[in-house]
Amino acid sequence: MKLKKVLALSMAAVLTLSMAACGSGSGESAAVNTNEEVTEEAPAETTEETGEDAAAEDTASAGELSYTNIVLGESYKDITTTIKWLTHRTDLIDSGMIDSYIAKFNETYPDITVEVEGVTNYADDALLRLTAGNWGDIIMIPAVDKNLLSEYFVPYGSLDDVSEVVRFADQWMYDNTVYGIASTGNAQGIVYNKAVFEQAGITAIPKTPEEFIAALQAVKDNTDAIPLYTNYAAGWTMGAWDAYINGSATGSSKYMNQELIHTQDPFQNYGDDTHAYAVYKILYDATANGLIEDDYTTTDWEGCKGMINNGEIGCMVLGSWAYSQMVDAGEHGDDIGYMSFPITVGGKQYASAGPDYNYGINVNASDDNKAAAMVFVKWMTEESGFAYNEGGVPISMDGEYPALYSAFDGIEFIADEPAVAGEEDILNELNAESELNINSGGDSKIQAIIEHAANGDMTFDEIMAQWNEAWTSAQETVGVEVTN
Amino acid sequence: MSAAAERVVQTKEKKPFYFLKWAKSRKGQQTIIIVAFMFIPLLLLFTFTYFPFGEMFKFSFYKMKYIGPRKFVGLENYIQVFKRDDCFGALKLSLYYIGGAMVQLAIALYLATILSFKVKGGSIFKGFMFFPYLISGIAIGFIFKFFYTRGFVFDTVLQWCGFELENLPYWLKDQSINNISLVATSVWRYFGQNMVLFIGAIMSVDAELYEAAELDGANRFQQFRYIILPSIKTIVTLNVILSITGSLSAFEPPYVITSGANGTGTYFVIMNEIAHVSQKVGLASAMAIVLLVIIFIATILQKLFFKYAMRDAEDENTVAGLRREKKLERYRNRRRKGRVTG
Repeated sequence: MKLKKVLALSMAAVLTLSMAACGSGSGESAAVNTNEEVTEEAPAETTEETGEDAAAEDTASAGELSYTNIVLGESYKDITTTIKWLTHRTDLIDSGMIDSYIAKFNETYPDITVEVEGVTNYADDALLRLTAGNWGDIIMIPAVDKNLLSEYFVPYGSLDDVSEVVRFADQWMYDNTVYGIASTGNAQGIVYNKAVFEQAGITAIPKTPEEFIAALQAVKDNTDAIPLYTNYAAGWTMGAWDAYINGSATGSSKYMNQELIHTQDPFQNYGDDTHAYAVYKILYDATANGLIEDDYTTTDWEGCKGMINNGEIGCMVLGSWAYSQMVDAGEHGDDIGYMSFPITVGGKQYASAGPDYNYGINVNASDDNKAAAMVFVKWMTEESGFAYNEGGVPISMDGEYPALYSAFDGIEFIADEPAVAGEEDILNELNAESELNINSGGDSKIQAIIEHAANGDMTFDEIMAQWNEAWTSAQETVGVEVTN
Repeated sequence: MSAAAERVVQTKEKKPFYFLKWAKSRKGQQTIIIVAFMFIPLLLLFTFTYFPFGEMFKFSFYKMKYIGPRKFVGLENYIQVFKRDDCFGALKLSLYYIGGAMVQLAIALYLATILSFKVKGGSIFKGFMFFPYLISGIAIGFIFKFFYTRGFVFDTVLQWCGFELENLPYWLKDQSINNISLVATSVWRYFGQNMVLFIGAIMSVDAELYEAAELDGANRFQQFRYIILPSIKTIVTLNVILSITGSLSAFEPPYVITSGANGTGTYFVIMNEIAHVSQKVGLASAMAIVLLVIIFIATILQKLFFKYAMRDAEDENTVAGLRREKKLERYRNRRRKGRVTG
């Protein structure tokens, strides 16, 4: 009886406590916010904040917070605050790299404390966190519609100013104002094992789809390695194929954000081994000819890194960010090479390049935190060597290219131009409406290519016709003008 | 009488209400405690179940993403659900899971019957068979991903049994069997839990009945057919209903093991893809509501079916029960007599 009473009491206590904790938690944060507003923001500024054209005024008046105005080591040295950074690089948190970056940052700015939170399922979770609003000061911008950027993020400055010092500045741009600075840049190519290709007797890097399929066949015939490892089971590694249909397959920097949305049947056969058709056909043909792994449904992403390092895999179609991971995965890091995607447009090869996740700064943070966050972003971009260490295209204009791009001699990097003003959201809408989700998580459609190729129940042209149909009906629903 | 009653009411009404006094009274204390204890669970229930459900119901009439503007489209989403072949096509996969659920219940019932009698090491068996239920579904997914990998665990075990690797199918790649492979993982996970429930029910059967039946010459199967099954009818019905509604909303095995690719995308997996990849939140909400209605209908149909199918059994059951009672009485009398005479 006594025990029962104690149990009941403690249950009640726990319940009420948890309720109270919830209540006080939100109350506290609200209180902090109002405090900061009262003490640190001049009334004039608050009105400016809420004004529609706040961004324009901000950049116009001198001395305002802007990326280009910050001089590292001099500006905002007096700020003492703690900022929180929500990042997708959980691997770098685990390896301690992030801590060492922050430690170095604190040598210059000892009074700014940086807290890091890693999120594993980033693309989905970050979007939810962004909507909920409790994500801290710096976030890696997830897939938001561009017209909403100003509701969430602090502007870094006008495109003209920022693009002078930073690459890919137009990735998260709206109304000529930049809301995101890339963490690192990726070029799109194929990571391969040089030793395996050599053993297979391949002397020149393939430049066309036929040469590439022939090379895979040679790897199959002459070595024990899996010619092309698809990483089908991981899913997102399949979605990575979308990254080749723009610059690499067309040589046009306008294709992805300006032309594709207006194109009639973008997945048709253009007859010259270019465009999306040629990209996905490589995957279909490789599967149909048995040049991929035996049981694709049980591939293992973590395991594949060691396998390519040991020469059990010929190549994998992944962005340049994957290169350093493959090199580090075993003893034969020297064997790993990086080549461009085997499509030649009009006798010339191109490689799509683009930014990785971008840093966005919380528009609702206090002024001190906004400034501290922007200082940190600028430091990460210019001083940390982050992009270089990651094997990425440098973000800072005067940054140095890492060695892996040596094989890209004579190949032109193509960074996508942003959408025309007023059309920023159309690609997103078409993607959602057609459910093809190009470059935004449309993994299942590419997995389906492998399934149909392996089972032989659909020809490649039938698949592409289906996609064209979905694209066309989405264009009709969204109401996009189809020009060519 | 009416006048008197009225007077009473009037005096009652006129009497001023002292809250503190009321709160100190036994009745007041009772009410306060009841309200206080009800408040927290009801609040939790409302905030985390009914409120989100209401929101979802509202979403199903909008064309919307998670963020950004919302547009009211009326029943358009519902029409889409019925028009698209991937939504209802996915429900066909539920047949695999319903089939699996039947197998699972049969295994559970069989093992429960055996284990409810005295078996050497019975508790250990029970423990082993219940154990999978305690592992998280995600972990099970990863276990089976490796289990089914070509040339890994399952193939190796089968090779020990004399199978040739060339003759074995690709458990997850071959579209004719990959759904069965997935269903098998779910059977493995849940049959132990069903079994424990059945054992619990069987334990509550009066042990004297077995003795009586044995004396009457009933074998084990007849004991099962005429004593155990009628006695645990309720829990069997419940388990069937739970398994079938669970089959309609199968999610974890296909999501974790195959990520819904290769023809294994169940209704839930498709719904997840539509909601989170294509961000058609309205359409996905409509799918959820439609599934809810389907589950309601399935449950009601099953209820009706069991009511109809079990009615005869019930009638028979009451007669059989009476007969059993009589039998028991006779048996007791006989024993008593025997003791007296012996």
